Formats: sequence, C-alpha cells, structure tokens
Amino acid sequence: MSYIVEIEDVWKRFPMMRDKPGFKEFLVNLPKFAKRNSDAYFWALKGISFKVKKGECLGVIGKNGAGKSTLLSLMLGTIFPTKGEIKVSLKVAPLLELGAGFHPDLTGPENILINGVLLGLTRNEVMERMERIISFSEIGEFINMPARTYSSGMYLRLAFSVAIHTDPELLLIDEILAVGDEAFQKKSREALIGLIKRGVTTIFVSHNLAAVQEICDSAIWLDGGEIMAGGDPEKVVENYRKYY
Amino acid sequence: MRKIEKEFRLKLDLLWLLTKKEITLKYKRTFLGIFWSLLNPILLSLVLFIAFKIFLKIQMENYAFFFLSALFPWNWFSASTTMATATLIGNVNLIKKIRFPRHFLILAVVLAQLVNLLFALPIIITLAYFSGKGLGVIWLLGIPILITIQFIVTTGISLLTAMVNAYFRDMEYIIGVAMSMLFWMTPIIYPLEMVPKAYKIYLTLNPLTYLITAWRDIFMFNSINWANIGISFGSALVFFFLGVFVFQRLGRRLDEVI
Repeated sequence: MSYIVEIEDVWKRFPMMRDKPGFKEFLVNLPKFAKRNSDAYFWALKGISFKVKKGECLGVIGKNGAGKSTLLSLMLGTIFPTKGEIKVSLKVAPLLELGAGFHPDLTGPENILINGVLLGLTRNEVMERMERIISFSEIGEFINMPARTYSSGMYLRLAFSVAIHTDPELLLIDEILAVGDEAFQKKSREALIGLIKRGVTTIFVSHNLAAVQEICDSAIWLDGGEIMAGGDPEKVVENYRKYY
Repeated sequence: MRKIEKEFRLKLDLLWLLTKKEITLKYKRTFLGIFWSLLNPILLSLVLFIAFKIFLKIQMENYAFFFLSALFPWNWFSASTTMATATLIGNVNLIKKIRFPRHFLILAVVLAQLVNLLFALPIIITLAYFSGKGLGVIWLLGIPILITIQFIVTTGISLLTAMVNAYFRDMEYIIGVAMSMLFWMTPIIYPLEMVPKAYKIYLTLNPLTYLITAWRDIFMFNSINWANIGISFGSALVFFFLGVFVFQRLGRRLDEVI
C-alpha cells in the first residue's frame, strides 16, 4: 500500500515577531546591532514524522498552540518546512479558514467561480456544479448579491459548499464542523462524514475528542511541536485525557 | 497527456479569472464601469490638447500627439508596477490559505492594466489619422511585439518589487518616488534630441528610453526601429530573470513575513 502523505522529520520555525526595528531604532541602537541574537525564533514543529495511507482518516489532537494548524498548512503547501521533507501526492481541498478567496464586492456566482478554480477545478467544471453548490449553501435569492451583504453564516455556508464540491482527494479539516445554524451544521457534518466514509483521505484536526474516536482510523497527539503519541485513536485519546 | 492538458487549462482559467477579477473590482460600484477605461484617456487627451495648443503654445508640431504616444505605454508600465508592488501584501488571505501559483497575482495586475492601453489605442489611431502619418500595416506587427516586450519587463520588475515589499514595506514608497523620477528621466514629454549632449548619456542608460522611443516610432512615424526593439528586448529579459530569481528565492519564506 502506497502512502499519500509522507512526512519525515519536519521542523518549522517562525521568526519571533517582536516589533520590527525600524530606522529610528536602528539609529539609536547602532552599536548593539552588530551582534544579532540568533534565538529569535519559535519552533512550531520539532521533528514530526508520520505517514497516511490512501483512504485513511487521521485525527490530530492537542492543545492550542501545539502546532496543529502549522502542520495542516505545511501539508497544504502554503508554507514550507525549515528542515525535513513533506510529500503530498493528491489534490488537496483545504477546509481551514473558509472563504479565504472570497471578495466582498463580488456576487455569489463570481465568488464560487474564482474559488472553485483556486481550489483546482477548471472553469467548466465549476459551471457544471454551480447549481449544486448554490442549492447546498441554501442562500437562495441572495446569491446574486455582493458577498458583503451576506450574514456571516451565509458567507461560511457558501464557502463550505464550494470546498466540498471540488472533488477533494485529500481533505484537510481544521475544526470547522460547526458552520451555520444547527440544521446546516448537521447537514455539513453529514456531507463530510459521507466523504470520509467514501474513502477520501482526511486529516482531521479537532478538539472534539469523541468525534476523533468515532470518525478516525488513527490519531496523533501533538504537544509543543512534538508527537506525544500516535496510533489507535481510542488509545491516543485515552492517553491524552489521562495526561491532563 | 490528458493530465497535462487539464493542468494547462486550469492555469489558464485561473489567470483569466484573476485578471477579470482585477478589472471587475476596479469599476465595481461605478455607473460607467469599464467605460472609464475609455473615457479617462479621452478626457486626458482633451486636457493636454487644450493646454498645449492654446495656453502653452509649444513650438513643436503635433505636441499633444507626441506626448500621448509615449504617455499611454508609460502609464501601463508605471500603473502596473505601482499596483503590483502592493499586491502580495494585499492578498494575505489567499496566499496563506490557498495553494496556487502566487506569481499569477502579479501577472493579473499587469494584464488588467494592459486593458487601459488597449482602450487608449482608438485615441492614438484618431490622432495618427489627423495629425500624424496615418496608420500603417506596420502597426499590426509593431504593436504586438512592443506589448510583448513591455509585458516581460513590467512583469520582471513587478515580481521583484512585490516580493521585496513583503519583506521590506518601504518598497512601496521607494517605487512611488522611483516612478516619478523615471518619468522625467525617460523621453516622454520631451524628445531625446532636446537633451544637452552632456546629459544624453544618462538617458541612453535607461532601458525605457528605447522602449518608449520604439512606441513613438510606430505611432508617429510608422516605422520600426529594430535596434531600439533589440535593446528593449535584451534588457527586458535581464529584468525578467532577475525578477523570477528574486521571487522564487524570497518566496519560500513569504509566509513568515507577510
């Protein structure tokens, strides 16, 4: 069985964003600037390795700031590792921050089109799915108005609808099962679980431990940028609960 | 094979939609919409015409045409570069949350600005008809060549300034000043021959001098100056590869600084 995601000894650091010294500070501190402190970095991930098989659903749990979202962004390819290697051999659909490509002045169909293409569909493919995307989002007559007139719930519903209609081969989900009102939450959850059950490979980041146990085939627990435990979701979640 | 074909289709669609978005958003919520792209150069020409013909009484024949034949191409260059410089930091959300070729954002700006030049062509044609040598078949050859060369050089510089701007936000202000300096250091409102000999050398070091002169040669004199075109093309390639190099090099850490 071949692996779809291969992550090997991945490290990622970010520069500490203190107030960037400007020209004024530069003049004042001229002598001090000669020696630069090299520890002005924050290591978000410290040597992560794991593999995901086709059709597998991997849960990622951990506290805030454990490195979960950094890990997803690395798999998505919007950021690059400082050290180590990442191989992702599928078309990725990110459900990270919904509506990233939306523009408030564009109408529903305009936004659907540009986001569908950004997520890897051709123009024709989006046009074919336009009806389905619109009806799933339940936006109704507002669809032809600029997105700035939408309520925040409508905005997210439309974004979610575009994302799951892009034929994803690898789903990256960052805790967004809660979109819209209760009815839509149920519907979006069912749509996602449907995709996962149909064998779409999924990386599922969540604080909902019960959901991870229920949906995922395996899980990893991140803390401080390191993997604390990995494997069977029941056991990983159990360990995680015991730890805190 | 099919996969490569689809990949290409996808890229083309994306570039087209990003360009279209750039154009649509510019005139969204205006009444005249895209007609502003036509109306703007018409009004500008009228103003210049009145200023130079009636008030300033410049000795040169057809001065308004002389000026506009260089101004429209220049505007494409300067507006593209200025807007492209701000475009990476203006699209933080897209860059951080969606994976797509980031240089498309820059290409879209340059292409969207090209539309303004195309809309200005009818005015150039009118002026050429009434006060120049008229139209020549040579236009059909020269205009596409010059558009291509200018597209290459503009894209190169824009890639560079946009990426540097992400790391060093002062770039936006530098570009603002650089553009107005460059405007006066390129023979746009004056002919190259008018410059004193001692200073001419500085103008011949400016690659835009050749490009702008080549535009004017076509519009005003129906002639293609291959030497100018050759120099423009050569320098365009240099700027292009420099831009691509910087964009790729600094692009890997873009997420950390943006």
